[in-house]
Amino acid sequence: MSLLAVREVTKRFGGLTAVDAVSFDTHEGQIKAIIGPNGAGKTTLFNVLTGFERPEDGTVTFDGREVVGMRPHRVVRAGVARTFQNTQLFDEMSALENALVGRFPRTRTGMFSASLRLPGTAKEERLAQEEAAKTLRLVGLGDASSVPAGDLPHGRRRLLEIARALATEPRLMLLDEPAAGLNSSETEALAEVLYRIRAEGITLLVVEHDMGLVMEVSDDIVVLNEGKKIAEGPPRLIQKDPAVIEAYLGEEEADA
Amino acid sequence: MGARPGRAQRSRLVLIAAIVIALAALPFVYSDAYLLKVLSFVGINVIIVAGLSLLFGYAGQVSLGHAAFYGIGAYTSGVLAVRFGWPWIACVAAAVVVSAIGGLILAVPTLRLKGHYLAMATLAFGQIAYVAFVEAKGITGGIDGLSGIPSPSLGPLELRSAESNYLLVWFFVGVALLLAGNIVALRPGRALRALHASEAGAQACGIDVVRTKVQVFVVSASLAGLAGSLFAHLVGFISPSSFTLVLSIELVAMVVLGGMGSLAGAALGAVVLTLIPNLDAVVPGMSPRAVELLQDWNADIFGVILIVVMLFMPGGLAAGAGRLAGWVRRRRPAPSEAEA
Repeated sequence: MSLLAVREVTKRFGGLTAVDAVSFDTHEGQIKAIIGPNGAGKTTLFNVLTGFERPEDGTVTFDGREVVGMRPHRVVRAGVARTFQNTQLFDEMSALENALVGRFPRTRTGMFSASLRLPGTAKEERLAQEEAAKTLRLVGLGDASSVPAGDLPHGRRRLLEIARALATEPRLMLLDEPAAGLNSSETEALAEVLYRIRAEGITLLVVEHDMGLVMEVSDDIVVLNEGKKIAEGPPRLIQKDPAVIEAYLGEEEADA
Repeated sequence: MGARPGRAQRSRLVLIAAIVIALAALPFVYSDAYLLKVLSFVGINVIIVAGLSLLFGYAGQVSLGHAAFYGIGAYTSGVLAVRFGWPWIACVAAAVVVSAIGGLILAVPTLRLKGHYLAMATLAFGQIAYVAFVEAKGITGGIDGLSGIPSPSLGPLELRSAESNYLLVWFFVGVALLLAGNIVALRPGRALRALHASEAGAQACGIDVVRTKVQVFVVSASLAGLAGSLFAHLVGFISPSSFTLVLSIELVAMVVLGGMGSLAGAALGAVVLTLIPNLDAVVPGMSPRAVELLQDWNADIFGVILIVVMLFMPGGLAAGAGRLAGWVRRRRPAPSEAEA
């Protein structure tokens, strides 16, 4: 059974159809990539899958539950975590505190019990700190836990956002262009982190422009162009797919 | 946190203990009625600002209407005591509850508003409350105010003296700061700061931003309501002029002066800005002329302080004190440790 089933999802902004009847499945334990030229609708699709946008049409089923109509925080609690193309970190908080915020859906202390430090809050806080520190170590930020997120270099900020998402204990993680702005050694380290996350039993769905990374890490690829799915399959087939080559041709020339 | 108190935390505990002892001992050592009254007003402002610091300093939700919650607390307490003869403690509880409801009423429709729009909406709420205090003459006594509010009393024990009222107010200051301090140190406090930094990021961490905003509005309004109740029973007379937009702005200024993300800073901001127009209480032998000047130019002094703080000390007094502490620590060689 697929962990995430996307069926005929359509999202329009005014006259523009950003995502047009897209369907695909993600299976447990996979690393699946979503690629496509700029403006293909990848980020909009991510926003739909995580409750940040509501599609006009279609269904998104995660682990048997309908995601469409859930507010973002509910989606996270259901087990789907995400990162953002433009990192959305809490800059004045330390790396550890950022990861601690990620523990939010798996902890309980509310305003009332916190204000009185009711029995159990100290223990929960200690465990949360341990878990948060563990996610920092997993992405290689163990040495940066007391550094404010705003003071971290770009590459480490991307890793911190991944750590924060991991701290929510997701079953599925959606990473929006995790390699954007990374140099080649940072990208290599990122690939390592992605494998480590998969080894933890977490399924990954990755929007990415770095084709080297995509071809290396993904088991399966969905290609979007102008909101439509134009291809789906394993990397070696996608590389040869005529529709994909055509969609990318203009971009490749522009990049070169 | 808690498990292994570090050096910095231990010295902070010592500092807090010293402040508590000094404040508690003051009326027994130096019992000057005017000083104690001024310090009681200081304490009342610290309580309001503790709540505003959670809402504005931590969660980043500005309120230019906090005088309204303060007023709602004061009038609830005053009216119940004067017209219905409720006992003091019941008045306090009712003031907190009614202000909390006021916070809820303001929070729900303004949830979608941010920045300037939220500022305008809360400002409007403050003005609506002010007009209500003036116009609901049958209940509030209108512009002439409500007089004859009895002193706080618990059973046969009536707290009439300046000393006892001072101790009562500062007892509540301690409680308010303790509760708020616990909130900011733990999970809900991190949610507030997350909300401030990035709503999308907070949502992606499973934080219900709507619920969190409503909660912090309600907590903040209740603290203002508590302060209002204490004020009403302390002075015995309240009128709408105590709950104006000017006060709302001064409260925001206290938080900014103290430091946005710091409860202790905000409390210090409240102390400093409340003392300025009453400086003669702490500086013996000040000429009446100088005091008069301070009071006449109060708004200008506040304005200049705010501009200077924003230009040269963006983190407020808290950040300034932090830098000073860091400098002292560096001068005194000691096994340094990473502060969490």
